[in-house]
Amino acid sequence: MQQPTVNIIGAGPAGLNAAISLAKLEIKVNLFEKQDKPGGHLSHWHSLFPNMYDAKTLLKSTINNIKHPNIKLYTSKNIKQIKRQNNQWTISSDQNQEYTSDAVIITSGFNLFDATKKEEYGYGIYPQVITSLELEQMFNKRSKWPFSEEIEAPKAGFVHCVGSRDTKCGNNWCSKVCCVKAVKQAIEFKKLFPKAEVNCFYMDLRMFGKGYEELYMKAQVDYNIQFVRGRLSEASPANGNKVNIKAEDTLMNRPLKQNLDMLVLMVGMTPAILLNKQSEHIDFVKPKFQQGFITPVDNYQSIISQDTPGVFAAGTCKGPASLIDVIQDAKATAFEVLEYLKKEKEKKAEILEKFNMICAH
Amino acid sequence: MCPLNFGYSVSEVKVIDLNQEKPVWLKKIFKLEPSLYRCISCGNCAAICTAGHFTEMKFYRLCLNAFRGQTSELKNNAKACILCGKCQFACPRGVNIRHAIMLITQIQQP
Repeated sequence: MQQPTVNIIGAGPAGLNAAISLAKLEIKVNLFEKQDKPGGHLSHWHSLFPNMYDAKTLLKSTINNIKHPNIKLYTSKNIKQIKRQNNQWTISSDQNQEYTSDAVIITSGFNLFDATKKEEYGYGIYPQVITSLELEQMFNKRSKWPFSEEIEAPKAGFVHCVGSRDTKCGNNWCSKVCCVKAVKQAIEFKKLFPKAEVNCFYMDLRMFGKGYEELYMKAQVDYNIQFVRGRLSEASPANGNKVNIKAEDTLMNRPLKQNLDMLVLMVGMTPAILLNKQSEHIDFVKPKFQQGFITPVDNYQSIISQDTPGVFAAGTCKGPASLIDVIQDAKATAFEVLEYLKKEKEKKAEILEKFNMICAH
Repeated sequence: MCPLNFGYSVSEVKVIDLNQEKPVWLKKIFKLEPSLYRCISCGNCAAICTAGHFTEMKFYRLCLNAFRGQTSELKNNAKACILCGKCQFACPRGVNIRHAIMLITQIQQP
């Protein structure tokens, strides 16, 4: 019997880990990536919460692992559609190339929220206002600080929940990782500028993961980072290349203002694609307001729908998740795919047996 | 000299200005009792406080005011504490409340 093939769409942490797991189980994998390099959002990170693990080390080791004889990586391939044909799935890229496989895993991940939509924060207008992604690039020394090098004690603010838990943006969900990412980035910033003053503006602090709450306490006690409960109403330009921020300190029951050298917006996760399900094919389209994340049949499996057997989803395309959760989900999905392929093989063998019996008579 | 009376008054500015530098004595309190940084304003200390039944004593609010540099009422409010120490048993984050209160009431403010 022929070796089964699985097509994986998206070579971020979910796609890479699913591919590695399947390859180890003697299954052939075609891994498709829209960008010219695998890695997804992980390639932008400097260090990872909660243990400050070096992101480049993890990325390198993961990409090394996909150099496996069972894995074929296709970069710069934008997948537009998957089609059902004779119990198999054919995926087609925008260059009209087609690849057939026995199962498909969608690991298309997320897009970061477009911070210009929250006009009151002035992203894209004031150079001091940056996103969490841009701050990570500054840690990576890929770009410069938004304030002068002469400033020894910069004042920085972090705004949590930008584009998350916000019905006006159509994003009702919590993006989960921004709380702890802000804590991690604040600590990293304090390490680089020990005299800096850092305030985090939050609605709730959701330290759900292992070691997150401990990191939060560390930020308070060891790095004296201040947490202010209340959202920013606006940012405006102030004297001396600063931005003035206004917020309500809901614990103090009073308004608050401060001039900052850097304002970091913790941008949330938004869906990257929307699945448009037709009878014999699924189209990948741009998500509209309030829609996008893939909802599997139930929360305990990765199969996306009862009438599309063999199509699975893993990672943040199903909704916001931390890197640890994504890696575990990808590995679990790989096992689900293996079970599915086994069942299909048994079905085929049964049919063949029946056919042979009929022929023998 | 009698101040001029215009027949109206202007209310005090309520905005917390974080641009203002914190007084040295306040910084000293945080240095001598760094466990203050652990406070997350959960209110357990105030819920259990005996003095709080009769006065404005709420330790977490003292802590918050200190964090925001609002010092005008700090020493006065801290004086209501009877140092019974129940709050310290209740605090989930291990703030050394009694020591902090002692520091606030005893440190010389200019």
